[in-house]
Amino acid sequence: MQLTIEIKRYNPDEDDEPHWESYEVPAEPLDSALSLLLHVKWHIDGTLSLRKSCAHGICGSDAMQINGENKLACSVLVQDLVEEDGDTVTFAPLPSAPVIKDLIIDQSRFFEKYRDVKPWLITDGPAPEREREQSPEEHAMIEDATKCIMCGACTHACPSTWADPDYLGPAAMLKAYRYTFDSRDDGAEERLDVVDSPDGLWKCYTIFNCNEACPKDIDITRWLSALKRKAATSQATTKA
Amino acid sequence: MAVDTQERPSASASTDAPAQQEGRVQRYRIRTGMFAWMMHRLTGVGLVVYLVIHIWGLTALTDPETFNALIAKYHSPLFKVGEFALLVAVAYHAMNGLRIVLIDFLGWSPKQKKLFWTLGAVTAVIILVGGWPSLYALGEWLFGPGSMPTFFL
Repeated sequence: MQLTIEIKRYNPDEDDEPHWESYEVPAEPLDSALSLLLHVKWHIDGTLSLRKSCAHGICGSDAMQINGENKLACSVLVQDLVEEDGDTVTFAPLPSAPVIKDLIIDQSRFFEKYRDVKPWLITDGPAPEREREQSPEEHAMIEDATKCIMCGACTHACPSTWADPDYLGPAAMLKAYRYTFDSRDDGAEERLDVVDSPDGLWKCYTIFNCNEACPKDIDITRWLSALKRKAATSQATTKA
Repeated sequence: MAVDTQERPSASASTDAPAQQEGRVQRYRIRTGMFAWMMHRLTGVGLVVYLVIHIWGLTALTDPETFNALIAKYHSPLFKVGEFALLVAVAYHAMNGLRIVLIDFLGWSPKQKKLFWTLGAVTAVIILVGGWPSLYALGEWLFGPGSMPTFFL
C-alpha cells in the first residue's frame, strides 16, 4: 500500500518554528512505523533526524507521537495505524519536551527526574558474600515495573507533565515503586521523601495516558497508586 | 538508553536552540481515562461556580419576603435547565470520584475502563430518574401543560 507520512520537522539552524512536511511512502501492513521513517530517511530526505538503535523494542530510543499519541515507533505496526491504502500517518516528537532536531528531543530533564528518585539498590547492612536472594512471590510484586525501558512515552503523555515540567512523571515514579517495593531494598524512606512532594505522586490524577502510551503494557497507574498508599500510610505512622 | 554521565547535565549541554513545545494544552488522542479526567475537571469547576451562586442566594435568608421572591425565580425555565445541569455535574463528579477512589485505594486500575462504563450507566440512570421533574417542568413550559408523559410522577 501507499501511505502519506506527515512529519513534524525542525532544524534549529534554519527554522524558527517546527513545521509539518509530507512524504509518499510504500508500505506493507506488517511493517513497523519505524520502517516508514527509515524509508523517508534512506530514500527521500536524508536530513530527517530521529533516534533509533535496536529497532526491536528493547533500547527505548524511538518513542514519539504517532497519530496523536505516544508510541514506540519500532513496536507499532502499520496495520494498527491505518485502515486502507492512501491513509495518513503522522509523526511528531514527544509532546512538551524541548526539540533538538526533527523527532529528537532533549532528554536531560527526563533523566534528571530519573536520578532524583535514586534508582539503585539502597541497603542498610553489609553486602552478602553471594547474590541477594528474592523469592518468586517477592519478585512478582515488582516484575511488571521492571519491564520499563525508559523510552519516555509515558511521562510525555501525561497532562500533569505538560502543566508542570518539573512533575517527576510516571517513568521516574515507576522506578521509585520498583525499588521501594523490592524486598532487598531498604531505601523506602529516602525515596518516599522525593515522591511524596508537591512535584511528585499527588499530581497523578489517574488519567491513564501513561498506561495507554507504554509500549511494554505496564500498568503504571496501578503501581503509582500502590506508592501513594505506601506514602500516605508511612507518613501517618511517622507523624503518630 | 544513553544516559549522560555528567552529574547534572544542563540544557546548554545539548545543541544551540531546542524548539520549546511546552504548554499545558497539547494535541493528544483522548481515550477513556483522559476523557473521564477532563469531565471531572469541568464538572468540578462548574460545581465551584454553582456553590458561589448558591451561597450568595442564601444571603436572602435574612428576610422571608426576599427569600420567597428568590425561590419564585427558581421556578423559571432557565433555572430548570440549571437544575438539570447541576444534577448532571453532581452525579458525574460523584460517580467518577468513586471510580478514582476505587483505583487509588483498592488498586482497581486494571478495571478502569469497565469501571468508567459501569459507573457511567449508573450516572445515566441517576440523571434520568432524578432529573425527570426538571425535564417534565421544562417540557410543560415548551410544549404546553399535559404534553409530557407521567410515568414517573
